[in-house]
Amino acid sequence: MRTREKIMEYVFLLAAVISIVAVALICVFLFANGIPAMHKIGFADFLTGTDWKPGNDKYGIFPMILGSIYVTGGALVIGVPIGVLMSVFMARFCPAKLYKILKPVVNLLAGIPSIVYGFFGLIVLVPFIREHFDSNGQSILCAAILLGIMILPTIIGASEPTIRAVEQSYYEGALALGATHERSVFTVVVPAAKSGILAAIILGVGRALGETMAVMMVVGNQPRVPDSILQGVRTLTTNIVMEMGYATDLHREALIATGVVLFVFILIINLCFSAIKRSGKE
Amino acid sequence: MLTPVIDGEANRNYMEECKMKKKVMCMLLTGVLAAGMLTGCGSDAETSDAANNTTDAAADNTADTAADSEAADTADAPAENGNFDTASSIAVYSREDGSGTRGAFIELFGIEEKDASGEKVDNTTVEAIITNSTDVMLTSVAGDTYAIGYVSLGSLNDTVKAAKIDGAEATVENIKSGTYTIARPFNIATNGEVSDAAQDFINYIMSAEGQAVITENGYIGDDAAAAFTSNGAEGKVVVGGSSSVSPVMEKLIEAYKAVNANVEIELQTSDSTTGMTGAADGTLDIGMASRELKDSETEAGLTATKIAMDGIAVIVNLDNPTEDLSSEAVKSIFTGETTTWDAVQ
Amino acid sequence: MDKNMTPINKVSFQDKMRSYAKHPGSLILLILVILAAVITVVTLLFLVGYILISGVPYLKPSLFSIEYNSENVSMLPAIINTVEMVVIALVLSVPFGVGAAIYLVEYAKKGNKLVEVVRLTAETLTGIPSIIYGLFGMLFFNIALHWRYSMMSGAATLAIMVLPTIMRTTEEALLCVPDSFREGSFGLGAGKLRTIFKIVLPAAIPGILSGIILSIGRIVGETAALIYTAGTVTGVAGLMDSGRTLAIHMYVLSNEGLHKNEANATAVVLLLVVLLINGLSSLVAKRFEAVK
Repeated sequence: MRTREKIMEYVFLLAAVISIVAVALICVFLFANGIPAMHKIGFADFLTGTDWKPGNDKYGIFPMILGSIYVTGGALVIGVPIGVLMSVFMARFCPAKLYKILKPVVNLLAGIPSIVYGFFGLIVLVPFIREHFDSNGQSILCAAILLGIMILPTIIGASEPTIRAVEQSYYEGALALGATHERSVFTVVVPAAKSGILAAIILGVGRALGETMAVMMVVGNQPRVPDSILQGVRTLTTNIVMEMGYATDLHREALIATGVVLFVFILIINLCFSAIKRSGKE
Repeated sequence: MLTPVIDGEANRNYMEECKMKKKVMCMLLTGVLAAGMLTGCGSDAETSDAANNTTDAAADNTADTAADSEAADTADAPAENGNFDTASSIAVYSREDGSGTRGAFIELFGIEEKDASGEKVDNTTVEAIITNSTDVMLTSVAGDTYAIGYVSLGSLNDTVKAAKIDGAEATVENIKSGTYTIARPFNIATNGEVSDAAQDFINYIMSAEGQAVITENGYIGDDAAAAFTSNGAEGKVVVGGSSSVSPVMEKLIEAYKAVNANVEIELQTSDSTTGMTGAADGTLDIGMASRELKDSETEAGLTATKIAMDGIAVIVNLDNPTEDLSSEAVKSIFTGETTTWDAVQ
Repeated sequence: MDKNMTPINKVSFQDKMRSYAKHPGSLILLILVILAAVITVVTLLFLVGYILISGVPYLKPSLFSIEYNSENVSMLPAIINTVEMVVIALVLSVPFGVGAAIYLVEYAKKGNKLVEVVRLTAETLTGIPSIIYGLFGMLFFNIALHWRYSMMSGAATLAIMVLPTIMRTTEEALLCVPDSFREGSFGLGAGKLRTIFKIVLPAAIPGILSGIILSIGRIVGETAALIYTAGTVTGVAGLMDSGRTLAIHMYVLSNEGLHKNEANATAVVLLLVVLLINGLSSLVAKRFEAVK
């Protein structure tokens, strides 16, 4: 009996360790395949080079890094205000009946596969931008709008509970001091939920940075540094998916190395997320 | 459950809607332009004033402007071309690096050139919008009035217009006769001795029956091939590689099954390079490539067999009055030297 | 929930208007908040409406025939493959996810360094984009383990991807089981293992289920992680064969550019599956609330 208990404890421990093993494996395999390529190309040339010409062994991913940052930034400009305001609405404004409708709406937005978002973007957003702006349509702007929509459920899902969880006495105190409902919510409740909202935004950054299929269809994918938001760019993720199938030798390794760079970005974001979540708890 | 009943009339697919919208836009724009002209080619401010005042008159003027522009165009373009602004910059659409279609395209048009050190350089302009899918290419060119792109002849549909190259139309006949030269081979590759089953399938592809399937699907097969006799093999064959070849390979497999049902064939769609690597390391029995084999691939022991030719069509928007492009013009557009449509003629 | 919603003192509509006239800032905030809600809802309605309008007319019975061929790009094999993929991925991930959660909640002592690391890595796994999983799956399962393009390789990749989801939801569910349950069981002389399997886990099942449903949603919608692991073969696939799921089916159809309408119809089916999954999960959540 005792031994069985002990054995099972180790079985559970093993299960718990799986996630550590998985992260370790992912790191090892990505780095082992990516770092040598970076070394061959030269770290500085790889990260700061602006020419991506695999046919001539020129692998500079600076435009893609910039592209990812622009597109993610744009998505935040669109997604964060709407997302945060929407979670405030859901947590503090809307009647319970409406909430019952809104919650599934947000869940559905979260559940739609990214490939479907991509089609929607290609067929609706791209022509819209082509007709209303001086652009081909496939542009940073278009990708930012699409990603802005896609990160909405992530941001709402994570920040709404934290806004809801703020002590009711804070809000009541503010009301008692004569503040309006809106004022109480925005000057007392929302600041109290600050760290939760920030964590939600960081989750959104991670989603936007890592999105692949949807972005690929609307962003234009030109490997060069753009001059305006109406031009297309290529992001780190699309660079991998676009060319992985065809790539051989160093080209392929360079694409894996692109994945490594993306991975490092994501790790940094994750660490920020954990740090903020922890500081929020204390 | 959704009722799977379809009403043909009710199918308002998006292309038509877009076209409708565009038509309305065209009408308005031409109206505005015409109004501007009528008020006597004044300053910008004047034009816009006039535009505001004469929206009602727009409809009446459309016909005139359309007629004018028709006269101006070399070809007998449809009336909608009224608003095709030739001064507009060209939107160049290209495929991703490494794609067989792109590889063949840049080679055939001389966009890929040797530089001073003898290294081949792909000079496609960095402004080109890159897509890795035929569908995105077609949708984009169909929706973007000033676009130019290219697709495999087999995938061409009527949402876009294929330009003549040096006067030759992109048709199967012209490729056979050699007047339309923008074509690439579809290759299959094998490594050393193949299984009886694989050999039987290859025999089928190269036979009169197999080549007929290829021709039926808009590619260029060999009309003089001999009839097929099966060697009666059994077993499993894994075919993989280029997504350009796989639609026709799919048809070939289906046709072959009718002849010899004892061989099971698995089709793995990816791309030319993966197909060649797979054939070389033995994961695939037959690899497919939509381009010539690279030296490194033949050195790995692969032997290529050309199963068909496929044309590449240079496509433009339906509203684009351009009918004929010289191969120099295509080259200078894709290298970024020519950036506006009026500079093309 | 209700206590947040109902105002503390009843205010008439006129009073409210007067108050807004006095505090225009509040009115602007209110308008902004409502605007955000309207934008979100309208976006969703537009999206769903668009998918339905462009796809429903092309949903034909022939699209659900068992045989895929180039004339009739049936999605039934892809649907079967999707179900297969979901089952294998869950079989691989649920035992580990639940086991890990049990360890974290029932065994680990407070302040255990290992728990910290497990939490951190689980969070890391959640944040990794699917394209990275795809790359890793290709490098590890397909190449290093020689599984080639196979359902197994895709499912293993997805299993790692959904592991943290299952872990987290199970952990939350286990934490919700009151300690009195455990104490009662111990008091009756049951061992720890017995307590966990007979008392704690059954009470936590709705929570675990909701985690599983969430994971199914993620598996069904996944494309980027599967193109380079499970491949794109069209037929119904065996364990070590390559096969395409519904989302990949849609991606490939649209890529070739020959079957756009069928791709739209596939989008409708995907949407319906997502709706179904969401409905199921809210149903389970309701049950969970009732149990609590």
